[in-house]
Amino acid sequence: MKQRLYIELENCIGCRSCLAACTQCGGHEERNRNYVYDVNPFVNRQTMPLMCLHCVNPACARSCPAQAIQIHETGAVLSALVEKCIGCQNCTIACPYGIPKFDTEQNLMYKCDLCIDRTKDGIPPMCASVCPTNTLQWLTEEEIEMKQKQFNLDNGKWTASMKLEGETNVRVNLPGILQGVTKLF
Amino acid sequence: MQKDKSGKIENVVHPNEKLVKTHCSYCGMQCGMNLRVNTVSNKIVGVEPRYDWPVTLGKMCPKGVTAYQQTNHSDRLLKPLIRDDASLKGTKEGFREASWEEAYDLITTKFKELQTNYGKNSLSVYSGVSMTNEKCYLTGKFARVGLQTRYIDYNGRFCMSSAAGGFLRSFGVDRGSTLPWTDIHETDCIFMAGSNTAECHPTSMFRVWAVQERGGYLIVVDPRETPIARRADVHLDIKPGTDLALANGILNLLIQNNYTDEHFIKNHTNGFEETKELVKLFTPEYTSEITGVDPEKIIRAAELYGKAPNAIVMFARGIEQQVKGVDNVSGYTNMALITGKIGRPKSGVATLTGQGNGQGGREHGQKADALPGYRKIANPEHVKEVSAFWGIDPSEMPKPGVSAYEMFGLMEEKTIRGLYLLCSNPAVSAPNLNYVRKVMKELDFMVCADFYLSESCEFADVVLPTTTWSEDEGTVTNLEGRIIKINKAQEPVGESKPDWQIQIELAERLGRGKYFSHLKTARDVADEFRGASKGGYADYFGATWDKIDKQDGVFWPCKSEDDPGTPHMFLDKKFYHPDGKAKICALPYRPPAEEPDEVYPLRLTTGRVVYHYLSGNQTRRIKFLNDMCPEPYVEVHPEKAMEYGIEHDEIIRLYTRRGQAFYKVKITEAIRKDTVFVPYSFGHDESINLLTIDALDPISRMPEFKACAAQIEKLEIKKVL
Repeated sequence: MKQRLYIELENCIGCRSCLAACTQCGGHEERNRNYVYDVNPFVNRQTMPLMCLHCVNPACARSCPAQAIQIHETGAVLSALVEKCIGCQNCTIACPYGIPKFDTEQNLMYKCDLCIDRTKDGIPPMCASVCPTNTLQWLTEEEIEMKQKQFNLDNGKWTASMKLEGETNVRVNLPGILQGVTKLF
Repeated sequence: MQKDKSGKIENVVHPNEKLVKTHCSYCGMQCGMNLRVNTVSNKIVGVEPRYDWPVTLGKMCPKGVTAYQQTNHSDRLLKPLIRDDASLKGTKEGFREASWEEAYDLITTKFKELQTNYGKNSLSVYSGVSMTNEKCYLTGKFARVGLQTRYIDYNGRFCMSSAAGGFLRSFGVDRGSTLPWTDIHETDCIFMAGSNTAECHPTSMFRVWAVQERGGYLIVVDPRETPIARRADVHLDIKPGTDLALANGILNLLIQNNYTDEHFIKNHTNGFEETKELVKLFTPEYTSEITGVDPEKIIRAAELYGKAPNAIVMFARGIEQQVKGVDNVSGYTNMALITGKIGRPKSGVATLTGQGNGQGGREHGQKADALPGYRKIANPEHVKEVSAFWGIDPSEMPKPGVSAYEMFGLMEEKTIRGLYLLCSNPAVSAPNLNYVRKVMKELDFMVCADFYLSESCEFADVVLPTTTWSEDEGTVTNLEGRIIKINKAQEPVGESKPDWQIQIELAERLGRGKYFSHLKTARDVADEFRGASKGGYADYFGATWDKIDKQDGVFWPCKSEDDPGTPHMFLDKKFYHPDGKAKICALPYRPPAEEPDEVYPLRLTTGRVVYHYLSGNQTRRIKFLNDMCPEPYVEVHPEKAMEYGIEHDEIIRLYTRRGQAFYKVKITEAIRKDTVFVPYSFGHDESINLLTIDALDPISRMPEFKACAAQIEKLEIKKVL
C-alpha cells in the first residue's frame, strides 16, 4: 500500500517538533534536515514547514555532476552518497525550495531521505509520526483523495508543487482548507 | 483526523537497542513514548513514537521528542552536595561533594536541632507535582508522619489549585476533565479560555483542528492571538484579568436567547435563579466595557456555544492564575451547567493540567489541607481514617498548614526555619521574586532535592541528587484523570536516588522508621498508596499496575479490582454534592488586584513558549530547545512600541511596583495594544516573576500571575544583554 507524506499547511503551529524528531531517525546523524518558517512574525503567528517534496524528476539529482543523489524505489530522493558527493552545492542552488543542507566541515551535502529506514517498510517518517497538529501526515492514496474531495477548493491549486517543480511524491494542501468546509450548523 | 492506527504501525528497533514504553516527563498530556535503550550500555539513547497510545497516537511536541536527553545530561547531579559557608547562599558557589551518609547526618542533626528549639512546625516541606503519585503520596506522609510538621504544600498552588477550587464548588468533585480527550475531536464546538494550547499542550491540537475540519467551531478567549487563536472562528481578545465579566456576559446571552436546558437545570442543579438575576447586569455592552472585547464577538460566541449540539468548555492558567481564578472556573463552568452540556459523551468541561501529575499530585495529601484520596485534614472522620491506615493516633495528625506562597511569609517571620524542597523551583516560579529569594536566603537550614542544580538549589545548604522520571517507576494521573504507568528505562545516574527512597531513609534516621521501613520498592509505595486512597472520592484502590497496562490507563474513581474506572463523569447526572446536584454559581465581578494607572499603564501577562516547561530548569539545558528559545523577550504591539519609540530587538527596562528586568522587544500585532507578554521560564535576572504580583485568590491561594500593572522605559544608552 503506497503511502505519501501529506502536508496540511494551515495546521502548523510552529512547534518545530518535526525538526527535533528528524534527528531521531537512524540514518540522520542527529542533524535535522528540514525547515520551519515564521511567515510574517510582525503580524501573526502563522508558521509553515518547508520539507523536501521528493520530486519525481528532482532538480537536485539532475544538477549533481557526481550522481551522488539516488532515488529510492519508493520515490524518496535520498541524501548524498558520502563516497560520491564532491561538495559542489549545485543541488542546493538547483532545488527550488533550497532543501539540501551543507556540512562545511565534512564538505558534504545532506538532505531529507524521508526516513528511508522507516518508510521503506511502511513506517511513517519521524516528522509525520510526531507532528502534534497533523500538519505532516503519512497517508494512503485513498486517504489523500478523500482529503481532496472534503476540502474541494476551487482555486485549482490543491497541490502547490504542480506549478513549481513538476510532479512531487509529497502532496501539499495550501493554507485555506477551511474555506471548503461546510459548517455543521 | 488522521485515523487511529492503533496496533497497525510497527516500531523501528535499531540494532543493540530495546524500547521501554512510558510517557513524557513534562506536561499533563503525558504523551505516550518509547524510550530507546542501548542493550550494551543500558543507557537511554533516544525516543521512538508510541503509535498505539490512544490519547496521542505517537505524537510529541519538541519537549517530548528531546525529553530523553535529560537522563544522561552532563549537568546531572551525581552526588549529594553540602555548602558549609552559609554566606554564599543565593549563588552557585561553595558546594562540595559529600557522601549520602554525611548529607543525611547533617540534615538529621539540623532538623532535630530546629525542632527541639522551635517546635515540630519549624520545618516545612515544599513539593511539586512533576512526579509520580507514589512520590506525591509519600511526600505527604513524610511531612506529617516523618517530620511531624503541619507545614507542607506544593507548586500546584501556582498551577492547578484554582481549577480544583472551582470544580469542587461547582461539581463537588475535582477531576480536571469530565470526559476523555479521545472525545474532543468529535465535539461540535470548543470554547477555549486562557489556554495557549498550541504551545502548552501541543498534542491536543490535532483533535482541536479536527473539530473545525468537520465543520465545528472553535472559540478562543485570549489577550494574544496565539497559534490556536489565529485559526479560531471567534477570537475574544480579552483584557487580562477580566474573565469573570465575560463568563457572566455569555451566561446572560445564553439565558436571554433560550439556550438553557430547563429540565437539566431543574433536576440536576442549584443556584440558577440567583445567577440569572446577577448576570442580567452583564449586557454585551457592559461586558465589552470591562473586557475590551467587541460586543458583536461576545454575541456570536454565545450563539455558537448555545446552538452547538455538543460542546466542551476548556480553560487553563490564563483564567486560573488570577485573584478570582476560582470564580472564573465556576463562571465558565456555569455555561455547561445551564445548557446541560455536561454528563454525556462529547460534551463537558475540562482544564488543561499544566504539570505531568498536576491531577494526581493534588489528590493524595501533599496539599496543606488534604490527605490521601482527596480527604480533608479539617474533617475529623478523614483524619481518623488516614491515621488508622498509617498507624498513628488521630491526635498526632498535624493540623492544616498554609499555601505555598504563604509559607514564605511564615519563613520571613521565622515561624518556619527549615525547608525541605523537592520537585519545584520557586526561585523562578514564585511571584514577587525579590521577596521570595530574600526569604529563602535567610532560612536557618534548607535542603533541596533535584536532579540538576536549579536556581532554588542555589539557596540550599544541602542538595540531594534525585532521579529523573526515566530512572524510577510509578503512576501519574494525566489531564483526563487517567491513571497511567511510568516505566523505568535505566538505572539511576551516579549516586542519585528516587525521592521516595530518600524520604524513607531520612525518616528512619529521624526515628520514624516504623512507619516507613516496610516500603522497599516503588511498587510497595504504590500498593500502600492505593490502600490509603481507598474510600476517598479520588479512589485509586482498583487502579492496579496490571489493569493500567491492560486498559491503556484507568480513569478514577476506580474503587475495586473489577471496576474498569470512570472515563466519563456524571453520566448518571449525579454530581458529588450531598444532594447530587451541581451548583450554578452567582459570581459578582471583581477587577484584578492591580489595575493599570498613569504610572503603570500597561497590563503585564505571562505564559509559556512551546520550547520550555515551567521554570525551565530542565528545558533550558536541552540544546535543541534552548537554541530555539534561548532568552525571554517582551511582546509589544507595534502601535504601543511607536508610542514608546522602541524598536524590534531593542532592549528596554520593564518594571512594576515590585521589580524590574531588561528584555528584548518583540514586535507583533498578535497581542492587545494595552498588554505586554513575557515568557516565565527563565532564571536569575531574566525572571519575569521579579515583577509579578503576589495577590492571592481567597479560596485557592493562587497568585495573580496573569495580570498586573507595568511600565516600559526606553533606555537612553543602548544596553547589551
